[in-house]
Amino acid sequence: MVTRRGFLKGGGLALLGVGLMGGIPAFMAEAAASDKLFRPYKRKRVLVCIFQRGAMDGLMAVTPFADTYLQAARPGLSLSAAKNGNGNPLIDLDGRWGLHPGMKAFEDLFREGRLGIVHGIGSPNNTRSHFDAQDYMESGTPFNKGTASGWLNRAVGLLGHDAITPFTAVSLTSALPRSFYGDHPSVAISNLQDFAIELKSNPAGANIAARSFEDLYDQTSSGLLQETGKESFEAMKLLQAANVRNYRPANGAIYPNSPLGSSLRQIAQLIKMDVGLEVAFTESNGWDTHFNQGTDNGIFARNVADLSNSIAAFWKDLDASQDDVTLMTMTEFGRTVHQNGTGGTDHGRASCNFILGNDVGGGKVYGNVATLATENLEDGRDLPVTTDFRSVFSAVADGHLQIANDRVLFPDWVGAKAPVMRGVGGGHDFFITASK
Amino acid sequence: MVLLGGHFLLSSFMAGVLPMHALDGARLSLSSLDGTRIPPYRFPYRMAGLTERQAAAHLLSRFTYGATPGQVDAVVKMGLETWWAQQLAADLPDDSLAQCLSRYDALQLTNQQVADLYPKAGQVARMAIKDGVIDKDSLKTDRVAYREAIRNYMQEKGLKPEQDLFRQFFCQKVLRAAYGRNQLQEVMTDFWFNHFNVSITKNDCAEFIPAYERDVIRPNALGHFGDLLLKTAKSPAMLYYLDNFSSSAPLAEGEDSGQFRKTRGLNENYAREVMELHTMGVDGGYTQQDVTQAARVLTGWTVYPMNDAGKGIINRFSEDQLARRGFVHEGDFLFNANRHDKGEKIVLGHTFPAGGGYDEGVTLLEMLAHHLSTARFIARKLAVRFVSDDPSPALIDKMAKTFLEKDGDIRQVLITMVSAPEFWNSAAVREKTKSPFELAIGAVRSLHGVIEQPYPLYNWVSRMGEKKYYYQAPTGFPDKGSYWINTGSLLNRMNFGLALATGRVPGVRIDLVALNNGHEPEDAQAALLAYSRIILPERNLDATIKRLTPMLNDPGLSQKVDVASSRAGDAGNTRPGQNGAEGMPADNDMAMVATNDQKAAQLGQVVGIIIGSPEFQRR
Repeated sequence: MVTRRGFLKGGGLALLGVGLMGGIPAFMAEAAASDKLFRPYKRKRVLVCIFQRGAMDGLMAVTPFADTYLQAARPGLSLSAAKNGNGNPLIDLDGRWGLHPGMKAFEDLFREGRLGIVHGIGSPNNTRSHFDAQDYMESGTPFNKGTASGWLNRAVGLLGHDAITPFTAVSLTSALPRSFYGDHPSVAISNLQDFAIELKSNPAGANIAARSFEDLYDQTSSGLLQETGKESFEAMKLLQAANVRNYRPANGAIYPNSPLGSSLRQIAQLIKMDVGLEVAFTESNGWDTHFNQGTDNGIFARNVADLSNSIAAFWKDLDASQDDVTLMTMTEFGRTVHQNGTGGTDHGRASCNFILGNDVGGGKVYGNVATLATENLEDGRDLPVTTDFRSVFSAVADGHLQIANDRVLFPDWVGAKAPVMRGVGGGHDFFITASK
Repeated sequence: MVLLGGHFLLSSFMAGVLPMHALDGARLSLSSLDGTRIPPYRFPYRMAGLTERQAAAHLLSRFTYGATPGQVDAVVKMGLETWWAQQLAADLPDDSLAQCLSRYDALQLTNQQVADLYPKAGQVARMAIKDGVIDKDSLKTDRVAYREAIRNYMQEKGLKPEQDLFRQFFCQKVLRAAYGRNQLQEVMTDFWFNHFNVSITKNDCAEFIPAYERDVIRPNALGHFGDLLLKTAKSPAMLYYLDNFSSSAPLAEGEDSGQFRKTRGLNENYAREVMELHTMGVDGGYTQQDVTQAARVLTGWTVYPMNDAGKGIINRFSEDQLARRGFVHEGDFLFNANRHDKGEKIVLGHTFPAGGGYDEGVTLLEMLAHHLSTARFIARKLAVRFVSDDPSPALIDKMAKTFLEKDGDIRQVLITMVSAPEFWNSAAVREKTKSPFELAIGAVRSLHGVIEQPYPLYNWVSRMGEKKYYYQAPTGFPDKGSYWINTGSLLNRMNFGLALATGRVPGVRIDLVALNNGHEPEDAQAALLAYSRIILPERNLDATIKRLTPMLNDPGLSQKVDVASSRAGDAGNTRPGQNGAEGMPADNDMAMVATNDQKAAQLGQVVGIIIGSPEFQRR
């Protein structure tokens, strides 16, 4: 087991003899009251990943709007960049690519050079099963289901130091995601507010129980239970001191009232608390748009608005911590070029993803996307995968977290990193040829 | 089930359980009057320094979902070996469980019935559009109307949402674990399900998982490993989960693929995992070449189509005609000879000559089931589950030897394990960490809880980190303490203890006073003494009780805590447990005047602390 003793030492809480009568040590309570948070850790770089489950239609999110093949294949699902048509036009990024109008929150970030987009990204395994494709993307081994660990868990192992806090790798989900499976400490928390001993309508009783538990775990002969018990109570006090319940985002940032908005708000809290967070994960659902996908309004538009507004609020809220953070989205595959018979799109191959951060080579749509003529499509129907997701994930891990051991991070993968991060990768040799 | 007579018990015992290689030279003897079985083995717990009661508690902690109040005494009275033999036979009548389960109408459905009754979400919409019930254009903007129309359509057609099926399935799992009398069978069902994991997260296989557990896993949980392997291989849940349903010989040049146009080709997923995870283990000595060849052997192993659309060739020929063409149809399983790779294959040095069919796969699985690597892999996994996270090689050797000698007879392997000194060693006792499911069910059992609604318990288990049936990877949940215990999950365990004992887990009724034979403890110390004996039998808790008593015995404390925390500047430097020595008199007399409500609350709190304590997390 990886020892997390460091948390206790590094945190300083134990050394200061914080025993706790009322749950909050005095100096922390004062700090919380004065908005000066207790910062026991050296600031860390943080990678935040969002999995868009269900397969986002990359061609609608970021549209090659001049492509007449696309317009012909999607008579009911096409948006135009022209400002004279019906509804909201696409946001013209560079004369070729148009951002869905629901994502106008991304426009400034893109133009400022902080937001990069990779198009034609996906897995070399051509499965069109959500389960398999997610599984492969999260394990990072597209042809091997038996890989026990997830790529983000392996990333934690490659950080170059023991995980010194319980918050090194946190997933804001109800269950541990596949990406986090593995031997390195990682934790799923659905809500930071739950990080407390609860006895409904009896807070005094809860205090007594908490003290009793703390004492019992301190005394147990099981090393695992004792250490984790200590960590749990230290973590609980830390969160209580930070007053997570009454968190106010910085800069007037307003998160959407959605699961993703709430998750990102809590990740921002953890980052600003300096509790040692380095890898964070959360997810966004509802991308499997087989029916009535909509255009500038409808299901898809709502989804991209939630995604981009949540991320933009997160970025604004990060404030002085922006330099420490890179955020990356991912989705298991894209959707068919042709619309289907029920106003939606079916499972396809490549999609696109978004990378946000001050060390991202932003303001650019990367990738190798040909016109969508049938002969250019995979199996005659889908946007072909021209960028292996691992060439992007590894570039981000390298560029932001300085994790360069690709043999551990992505075993079986031999390829070049995509040049999406400043100072990482380069040239165009990261493109792969479409598999037939 | 009706209570069976002694003769039946005897015969089922003879057939299923009795090792004829009697251990310790003890002779088989049976008391023919009452049908009590006296098994031919003796457990070596005294060598390890355990008393009979301690040994009984250990046995119960490993092979049940937790001892119920008084169960240690009952097992001692019956004899440890006799209890064990009974559990191995797994044929105790279970009427009250059956009664509990009878209110769930989906538990006995066949896979075909499930497929007919519980269509997947997308499927319903397609059917509704096809039937002209839903006009997709008019519904583009009105999601409420769309949902309403779908709901009405389902009602009309007698269709039900898939989630209802899963919910019933989760509920039965909770009830069986909590109330089933054949506890070992249930524990082993859990073990094998996790070993041959399938997951609801994979939509294709999800609806077939209830029947998978019911028909494939549970009836064979104490049988022969080879049967489990073959039956899991042929079940729709596994065929879909690891994709073998779609695996077929690649098309020869110019061959017409007919109805299989879209899906022709080899898929190695199952072939790989059956070796890596189900049998030989990742270091078991097979190569990528073996995986590919095994996948070719298993081409054509698929699911019998459950709706007309998929039947194609099946409808064109009679069963006899199909059989003559090499097809095999058994229940939900179909060997589709047309999709089988008829060339020669070599797996692990064994040659399958060209032209073979279904039997090739059976031979392959038999080979794997009897492989030395498999024996060691399974022996180790069982020892990890039941002995310790790091079992000794000597124990694994003994178990693997039995596995090979006894044709993968799981009962015999378990007997070898429990007859080994390693099982009773102090390095093993209390060294396993309960999984969240074991914790939750164990807590209910230890309190004689009445589960009126099992689903909230299922949710608590998920919250503590074990979302049953949703583990995505084919590895199953890792079986080690360090996986289950982390900061988030540990606080949830404590909160679960408090919630359960204070009656705040919806659908579970607890009567703490009744549990203590109607006696209401005088004070917190008395409560601690009484309930820790009930909940944690045969554990030495003197130190725990001594430490906790001053904290719990002081109802005024909470008030002080509140005051103290509002003056956080003073409180922050106070060590817990010191307050009594700092000029705050121990308010034992205040406890006496506490109201009944307060008393009840305090009792719940004490019991909650016992359940959330480190001691209760161990088994």
